[in-house]
Amino acid sequence: QAVTVEVLDRLEQLALVDFRDAEGVERLRKAVRFAAELQEVNTEGVEPMASVLEDRCLYLREDDVTEGNCTNELLKNAREKVEEYFVAPPGNIPLPKLEERETFLKGS
Amino acid sequence: VLNRRCVEAAVMTGLALNCSINKKSLFDRKHYFYADLPAGYQITQQRVPIAVNGSLSYSLCKDNKMSQMVTKTVRIKQIQLEQDSGKSLHDDTRNQTLVDLNRAGVGLMEVVMEPDMCCGEEAAAAVRELQLILQTLGSSQAVMAEGQLRVDANVSVHHPGEPYGVRTEVKNINSIRFLAKAVDYEIQRQIEELENGGTILNETRAFDSKLGCTVPMRDKEGKQDYRFMPEPNLPPLILYDAKSLPANMNHQQVVNIDWINERLPDLPSVKRAKLVERYGILPEHSFALLNEDGLTEFFENVVKQTRMKPKKVIGWILNVLLSYLKQHSLTVKESPVSSVLMADLLNLLEKKEISSTAAKQVLAELWKGEGKTPLEIVKEKKLELIQDQEELEQICQAVIDGQENE
Repeated sequence: QAVTVEVLDRLEQLALVDFRDAEGVERLRKAVRFAAELQEVNTEGVEPMASVLEDRCLYLREDDVTEGNCTNELLKNAREKVEEYFVAPPGNIPLPKLEERETFLKGS
Repeated sequence: VLNRRCVEAAVMTGLALNCSINKKSLFDRKHYFYADLPAGYQITQQRVPIAVNGSLSYSLCKDNKMSQMVTKTVRIKQIQLEQDSGKSLHDDTRNQTLVDLNRAGVGLMEVVMEPDMCCGEEAAAAVRELQLILQTLGSSQAVMAEGQLRVDANVSVHHPGEPYGVRTEVKNINSIRFLAKAVDYEIQRQIEELENGGTILNETRAFDSKLGCTVPMRDKEGKQDYRFMPEPNLPPLILYDAKSLPANMNHQQVVNIDWINERLPDLPSVKRAKLVERYGILPEHSFALLNEDGLTEFFENVVKQTRMKPKKVIGWILNVLLSYLKQHSLTVKESPVSSVLMADLLNLLEKKEISSTAAKQVLAELWKGEGKTPLEIVKEKKLELIQDQEELEQICQAVIDGQENE
């Protein structure tokens, strides 16, 4: 699967990353090639591992209130607020389409 | 950090819904951007959820007649644990969204059903039964109006024998009544659209309760790619049973499925069967009793304090008391007539000291809540049945004489 401009464009939209320049894109391509080496390993009959910590015990906490009452602290983070609500635009503001964006990808 | 109570509630609910509990379940991250999701991802169980393959049985009144109840079943695909997002309030006048993050991160249990229901009535009945089960288990108080139970309906239509059509997801349904309306509206809308040669888009729609219709929801632009990945901070959730119980683990860290199973309370269906067996009432009576919060208790209290047979008492509770409550929009707890007063009244009736009609008059008086007892009201309004044969003959004779004079 080639890392095409379409794929890069989609990644920029989905993850809001910015492939700033040729170096950024090349780094991504190298990373994909490196990860692809994993395909060479024979994993037949082997359970996939999600993380090196997967044998650890999942800690279950008691259903007790241990923190909170920090409304003012949290609201300090708000650029704009109304009573105790954070104010946000009416919906997601999507990234402009490739043609209208200031991105290195346009040139490629 | 995972809350133990969430796990217990999910296991209880899974057991109550006849699911297989996965002794090992996993957590994943679901990525998307929205103002009410501060982290930019939601922790959920996409690969292996905590419970799978269950069923929920519910009853429907055939042709709206309580006497003809049918039992239906909907399969439960899975139950998964996940995080809640914050709450968004849309302020269209000022073109902004207000976000309340208080509930962000709180544990949620999502119950996914298979498409086994065919209309609004079935969906409503199934969800109502689920609501009763959740309340009985204590998993949730399941009040839809307060967002404690949220329902998203997935609707599609197809001709018999053909594969399922494209489905739409309907959100913003705030009550069982609206659920039935939303589903039926959407079915109609899709049928009309297809009959007019149109197509159904796989979209998300919102139910507008004021207009009684569904409208496309903004912001569901294109196909979402959630980029699921294993949640790195949460190792697998391991549940135990009597056989697999580890010897030297801290009790507080162990969730034992068998222990929970042994302590499951009677589910609504079991409670209904017990009421029918114990009191000789009909299944539809027990259905009506469980359907109103506190009514079963009221009924049982009255039965305890009166000699009247339960089969007769039930009529007074369901036909008379319940309709009074509905007329005045009161809950059983708010009833001006207590079970004690009700029992007193029914005793007078049972002893044939008053007639059925008189009893209804007394009840109307009692409803005013002026603190009088049934006996006091009977005496006050002279509603006693006349037992004296001679007196009755005199009255009848007087009426006949009166007629002859006309």
